[in-house]
Amino acid sequence: MVKIRGVQWFIVALRIGVGAAFVYAGAIKLGDALQFADNIASFRILPGSFINPLALSLPIFEVLSGGLLAVGWFRRPAALAIVIVSAVFLAAIALALERGLTIDCGCFGSGVPSRERMWLDLGRDMILLVGALITVSMRESHLPGPAQSGWTKSPAGVLVNNQHG
Amino acid sequence: MAVLLEAGRPPNGPKDLAMSSAVSIIKPHPDRALRRSTLPWHLLRDLVGVVLIAVASLAAGLVTNRFSSRPLPMVYKTPEQRLEAELAQLIGAPAFQSLPVTMIDLGEFRAVVQSKSALILDARSSVFYRLGHVPGALNLARDNFAADYLRLRSKIDQSRDNQVIVYCSGGDCRDSKMVAQALMSLGFTNGAVFGGGWGQWTAAHLPQEPG
Repeated sequence: MVKIRGVQWFIVALRIGVGAAFVYAGAIKLGDALQFADNIASFRILPGSFINPLALSLPIFEVLSGGLLAVGWFRRPAALAIVIVSAVFLAAIALALERGLTIDCGCFGSGVPSRERMWLDLGRDMILLVGALITVSMRESHLPGPAQSGWTKSPAGVLVNNQHG
Repeated sequence: MAVLLEAGRPPNGPKDLAMSSAVSIIKPHPDRALRRSTLPWHLLRDLVGVVLIAVASLAAGLVTNRFSSRPLPMVYKTPEQRLEAELAQLIGAPAFQSLPVTMIDLGEFRAVVQSKSALILDARSSVFYRLGHVPGALNLARDNFAADYLRLRSKIDQSRDNQVIVYCSGGDCRDSKMVAQALMSLGFTNGAVFGGGWGQWTAAHLPQEPG
């Protein structure tokens, strides 16, 4: 029982941690959309007409989905949004590394472009992706609080349904 | 049997235990069964949620940009194109030229800063300049070149024939080189770039000036 509670609280902490990281990442980009547009352009993937709309909307998308995930509203769509963004960033950084580019992804604010920093960004994105995947794969019944599926374990150790029993 | 189990009575001997085990084996875990049957629907609902967040973000981003003091154009322009447009705002400015510039290292740059023998320009945006810059440096941001140049014209023009050293964040940043080339396009003869930039300056724990 104690073990189950520990896992449940770990999942809540993970959800809040991943959500807060995305709120932070989005918030620091909000102040300088032009710099973030340059960061996106440096990947040399998107055409010019996609870059500025993405630079304007992605920070808000990150703040929204991170905030929703952290507070637990709209939890699964928010976690799925974070999974998608993390996977896209991960693929883009991996592609840039493979193509020999030295860029600043701008994922957590701008800095001096370097290959070492790109590897760090790749690792950080991977951790966030795994965290968001764990969060998105968990059902509400696995989280702390009253069981929401209606199923409880009887003293005999058999699952019974309180709603339809 | 469900009544017996729900009554909360402890298992009464091996017979009850055997029945409980049988129920566990025959009936699949209800939560797993629910997950299997509703997974596509959940996924579809979650994807619709993601699309809603994306549409709301795009709308908010476009509205914010519309009322911004310096809105982004809908089509991205490279830093070179933006600097060319900035230069075009200066009356009589020639076209932007990619001229070769002299690169200097940290040792040379440090000596020049200490002796105040050259004009030092910071090509980063004003946000980063305000957070901290090389002592004595003026802010001639690449992305606000025309306005900054006009604001600092009296000070910068005095150094037209003296050495002007430009830096940016460091590493592979191109802003310093582009600002130096823009100044050379405007007739400055002795432009140089400190390639290590702010990153190398701070890593060496050299003095910083805020504001």
